[in-house]
Amino acid sequence: MPAIPPGVADAPRAPFVTLSALWLVLTGTLCNLRCTHCLNASGPDEPWLAPLDGAVARRALTEAEALGVREVYFTGGEPFLHREILPLLETSLAMAATTVLTNGTVMTDALAGALAALAGASRYSLEIRVSLDAAEAEANDRVRGRGTWERALRTLRTLDARGLLPIVTATEIADGAGAYDRFRALLRGLGIAKPRVKILPVFPVGRAAGAPGVRLTDTDLEGFDRTTLQCAETRVVAADGVYACPILAGLPGARLSDGALAAALGPAALYHEACATCHRTGATCRNA
Amino acid sequence: MSSHRGDVPERVSEHRRIAVLGGVYSNAEALAAVLADTRRRDAEAVFCLGDLGGFGAHPDRVFPLLREHDVRVVRGNYDEAVAAGAADCNCGYTDPRDNHYARLSYAYTVAHTSATNRAWLATLPGHRRARLGPHRVLMCHGSPRRINEFLWESTTPDGLLRRLLADHAADVLLCTHTGLKWRRALDGGAAHAVNVGAVGRPENDGTPDVWYALLTAGPELEVEFVSVAYDHEAAARALEAEGLPPEFAETLRTGWWTTCLENLPARERARGRF
Repeated sequence: MPAIPPGVADAPRAPFVTLSALWLVLTGTLCNLRCTHCLNASGPDEPWLAPLDGAVARRALTEAEALGVREVYFTGGEPFLHREILPLLETSLAMAATTVLTNGTVMTDALAGALAALAGASRYSLEIRVSLDAAEAEANDRVRGRGTWERALRTLRTLDARGLLPIVTATEIADGAGAYDRFRALLRGLGIAKPRVKILPVFPVGRAAGAPGVRLTDTDLEGFDRTTLQCAETRVVAADGVYACPILAGLPGARLSDGALAAALGPAALYHEACATCHRTGATCRNA
Repeated sequence: MSSHRGDVPERVSEHRRIAVLGGVYSNAEALAAVLADTRRRDAEAVFCLGDLGGFGAHPDRVFPLLREHDVRVVRGNYDEAVAAGAADCNCGYTDPRDNHYARLSYAYTVAHTSATNRAWLATLPGHRRARLGPHRVLMCHGSPRRINEFLWESTTPDGLLRRLLADHAADVLLCTHTGLKWRRALDGGAAHAVNVGAVGRPENDGTPDVWYALLTAGPELEVEFVSVAYDHEAAARALEAEGLPPEFAETLRTGWWTTCLENLPARERARGRF
């Protein structure tokens, strides 16, 4: 197991308040794309963070339900590459609203139909978040790979036609001020009547990690309500343990337990440069 | 039982039938109509779950109506922000379009709420409790654990409701904040959760009417959602006269939400026009 990096022991802590959101890193870092700013450096090679075993995912869902979880997120990698995703979604949607974060390049009509059927059978919302990084093909494909823009747009149309109201999730690689309007215009141009857009900052982690940067100190957090941080209400189950943050999953300094959720309900170290971004921007990886 | 900051320290009131409303949003015309309706329906007490301001044209006209009808009010996030002179309404929008409307609305509300009324907002409790026959009722704005938590029907699991009820020693949870009503009976009717919706803005269902909840004690708790028609045209004209965004008046006239849609989950968003 990799060593815990320096600075973790002395880092400020975020308290654990309640388990509001459970994230499952379903495919680990296995993905069909290799985006230039990927938060956990996912790609098609042997994943550095292994996919989650279906039984582990089901156990986490059961544990989370007993803890009163509010919502569940499936991420990766590309979660639709997990061979058990549909039965796992069925299990999850039987207990809580569930969101899948996808790159939108592996969707088929049959899969979209299956998702619509699951959504229709559940009392809880199924959300599909489709990643784009620009409202123009060239800028998007520079980050995500050639042809990804066209494929993601096809997925957005397919999901919308099934009534699934996808959320475009983008990072602020371009001008943030007009980005919402540009994405909304793009979606309206596709015939999507209820355009939904979420924009996140670029976090200095994964392929976007630069030189060591600013980290939080207790002095930075004086007068700040740490319970408002996402990690106060979030736990993330990956193949090698439980974490407080979806974008730090797999990093030894962020691991809270190597097994059960119940063992990971303590304070989380705010040791990473990405924690400073989260604190500065007030960002949440959740839908809203 | 955990301690609950903001709970009312007074004796828990006991009732046979109560009316519960939320989200007044400065819509004095709608509030007047709803309060008149509660009298006709023999409600012994009327509770309001907060967010008196925002959206509508007449923030200060809401307060005398609440006093006249002896409405017992719970503090909402909007009330908290207005009372504290906070920078924004703490509604949590990230989309600049939604933030634009939220800021406009908040600035207008603060500017048109008297110092006396702002001071009164600061006295409101975060929770209230009541007893309806055998049922222990807990009232809050968003959720019992966070004033601005959205309890939408499609994102509020049974497991969460059971936990909230157990943590707060209640059988019935009443909330608002989303603006959309829903109810759920748990465990064969032993427990209930009711989001009472809003009286200041229509239901995003294509009709201008607004809704509140009537709860009646009995071995089985009776929950009835009551629809109230009011002079929405007058409320819409007042918005226009004050120079507030035309999208707000459109919502009052058509019953469809036109702004601040980003927090709606897929299921609820699908039901609306926009």
